[in-house]
Amino acid sequence: MPTDTRRISGPEISHSPYDYCLTPPIDLIGADKKRLDGRLPAQLRPLFLRAGVISQARGSGYIEVDQTKVICAVYGPREVLRREDFSLKGQLTCDFKFTTFSCRLRRQHQQDNQEKDLSVQLLEALEPAVCLQKYPKSQINIYVTVLQNDGSALSAAIICASLALASAGIEMYDLVLASSVAMRDALTIVDPTEREEEAVLNKTHKAELNAGSMTVAFLPSINQVSAISSDGEILCETLTKSMRLCVENCLKLYPVLQQALVKHRLDKQADTS
Amino acid sequence: MTDVDLSEAEKTFILHSMQDNFREDGRGCEDFRHMEVETGLISNTNGSARVRLASTDILVGVKVQLVPVDPNKPNVGRIEFFLDCSANATPAFEGRGGEGLASEITAMLTRAYSCPSAIDYPSLCVLPGQQCWLLYIDVLLLECGGNLFDAVSIAVKSALFNLRIPNVTMTKDEGGIELDVSDDPFDFKRLDVAGAPIIVTVNKIGHFHVVDASEKEEVCSLARLMLGITEKGTVTAMKKEGSGSLDTDSISEMIESAKKVGVELNKCLLNILMTEEGQEVKPVGFLR
Amino acid sequence: MADQYRIAQPKDYYRQFLEKDVRPDNRGLGEYRATVMNIGCVSTAEGSSLVKIGNTTVMCGIKAEVAEPGVDGKNGYLVPNVELSPLCSANFRPGPPGELAQVLSQNMADLIADSQCVKLENLCVCPGKLVWVLHIDLVCLDYDGNLMDACTLAMMSALKSTSLPVVTVDEESGEIKTDPSSRTLLPVSCCPVSTTLIVFDNKLLLVDPTSEEESLATGAVTVVTEGKNVCSIYKPGGTPLTDKQIRDCIERGFIRGKEARSLIEETLCSVDR
Repeated sequence: MPTDTRRISGPEISHSPYDYCLTPPIDLIGADKKRLDGRLPAQLRPLFLRAGVISQARGSGYIEVDQTKVICAVYGPREVLRREDFSLKGQLTCDFKFTTFSCRLRRQHQQDNQEKDLSVQLLEALEPAVCLQKYPKSQINIYVTVLQNDGSALSAAIICASLALASAGIEMYDLVLASSVAMRDALTIVDPTEREEEAVLNKTHKAELNAGSMTVAFLPSINQVSAISSDGEILCETLTKSMRLCVENCLKLYPVLQQALVKHRLDKQADTS
Repeated sequence: MTDVDLSEAEKTFILHSMQDNFREDGRGCEDFRHMEVETGLISNTNGSARVRLASTDILVGVKVQLVPVDPNKPNVGRIEFFLDCSANATPAFEGRGGEGLASEITAMLTRAYSCPSAIDYPSLCVLPGQQCWLLYIDVLLLECGGNLFDAVSIAVKSALFNLRIPNVTMTKDEGGIELDVSDDPFDFKRLDVAGAPIIVTVNKIGHFHVVDASEKEEVCSLARLMLGITEKGTVTAMKKEGSGSLDTDSISEMIESAKKVGVELNKCLLNILMTEEGQEVKPVGFLR
Repeated sequence: MADQYRIAQPKDYYRQFLEKDVRPDNRGLGEYRATVMNIGCVSTAEGSSLVKIGNTTVMCGIKAEVAEPGVDGKNGYLVPNVELSPLCSANFRPGPPGELAQVLSQNMADLIADSQCVKLENLCVCPGKLVWVLHIDLVCLDYDGNLMDACTLAMMSALKSTSLPVVTVDEESGEIKTDPSSRTLLPVSCCPVSTTLIVFDNKLLLVDPTSEEESLATGAVTVVTEGKNVCSIYKPGGTPLTDKQIRDCIERGFIRGKEARSLIEETLCSVDR
């Protein structure tokens, strides 16, 4: 990697202390049919959502799904910087970033390939919901920062970004909801934590055909899936089944997102009067 | 992708003929275009392949290198994808123009190959806990004629099939083990690629789901689903692309259709690769 | 009407307020905005904190890694970096850190070096073999002025809450082992606090500027105090100040220092570690 002259740098080679201890593999589900954090397989984690957390941004949102914490800001519609990027349809850009301390192992300052991939996935999920034809010659920038990742970071980011877009007053067809599941063999668990995600993807024995995770973004009022992505090796039937499960879970979250938005509007009104 | 300007009338023409179950070139919805596969073209790589799918032209070279293992995964080898969009393909790729597309394709390939059963990762480990093979898979995009993701993944699988990894002999030395990579070109091992996935892109055009869309058809499609499909019909990676959205029923139909096409495609490809090797055909290369 | 006046003639707008010894946000000239602190908010980091001064929000996460020591054989590394992401203000764009971020990062490094709050020899795991590298990453989430004070406060409170897993190096084999279940607190010997003032119209001193005030300032001073001592005074150009004004700044620095240190102590006590 090229040396970064604009940051203070430490020693060239350093390792995480956790490289030198064994992390025992976890069971997705215990003998009591409960998961490591005491949830049932089909149980979502509690959710905290709030709009208007960043004073400088046009719209912003913060989401906490237990230990997963994501903050998002929306700027724009603003002028397109480069002339050749001009278009009659507005442009949406997404920038997805993990803070260096958000995961178990330290991340780098520069955006890595995974973050670039997640930026694209986020864009795919949000673009169908935004009425871009209403914003000609301008761009809308979405910046998402994951402060702590404890699994399902992408779906948290999608919900947070759609709240931020709505609170910025950007015209949209619908709010975007998202939900993740992880599956192994016949077992499907919703809203997986980071350790569960890792346990599913790093399976060691080859015999299992069905192990992976999936994220679905959904627009409830027009009943459309705006993004779908999966990782790991999964059977087609499981894939379809899991997709429907994700959609169901998205619908459960819809009122939460609506309430957060309404609360933000009321707060704003109370502020100005 | 590349800039194909279609007028509204041309788009309507493609959409309408789709309704009558005709594609612009007379194919059915689940038919691929004519494809040519050749392997072992580049002598200074460990494995190479060239795939020409209609006018889409892809060249893949694989180089192997001994590297220290990843401390978190001490018993497996690694692969790394790199994709170069040649400005020969389209002027839009000039300078840094192709970077976005390149990172999208590499990300999809990385995800599709990240499941442990894709290739025999443990066999790439030379000395558990210390040294393993790192496969540098370099993809060169020579010409774009639609359906890049699928063509790239077919080329990658063919190059991996063609891959010849030199054998390594280990000698115990005082203070450590010495590794000696064989330089005899006939002293090699092959990689089992039976489980390697092929990406199948299903485009939604109008109410129809078509595979292997041409450039013109891609312009008409607002949403597409990309799936990494293995020979067994399992899905190793999936993503949606495009500015449109899809309803759940069409997604499940698209998955089904991708599975059907993907399984067949995997079988055909492996057959062709086997026959090509058996026949000892002299590679034609680029001069056709 | 007032809003338009504020945008068109910001200096005149401010003058009218300041004549009556008050600022547009209702503060006195020497008054700080409400400061809120949360410690240990990111469990994936070895130490973390969130500081809000008014709207300005900074999150600090400390990630510990191990590395081979340099030539001296026993000194660890402290690597502070400030990240001004495009999330926190419309003025920042994605890409490598800008001038302000670089200056702040260097200020943080100087602050640690000058005050000796964390001694590098305390970061030694095994002399000549292994030392700690503490990556101190400060992420700005909302930029509304006075980032310097928010950053120092966030960094010091995060350092004070940092606990490291026990790492041992086998004398003979040189094998490194980590015991994540037992942790030790990082020794922090002192707690420097910075106080920033800006100069308005070449004469008035305003404490804790907002971003609007910063843009109108003719100069700025930052005083860093530790207990009864002044650690450093940083005055990057701008209006020359009289002896009395400098004394005034130092005076304010001591008052703020006392407040801030008691805030850190209170917050540390309220969070059980």
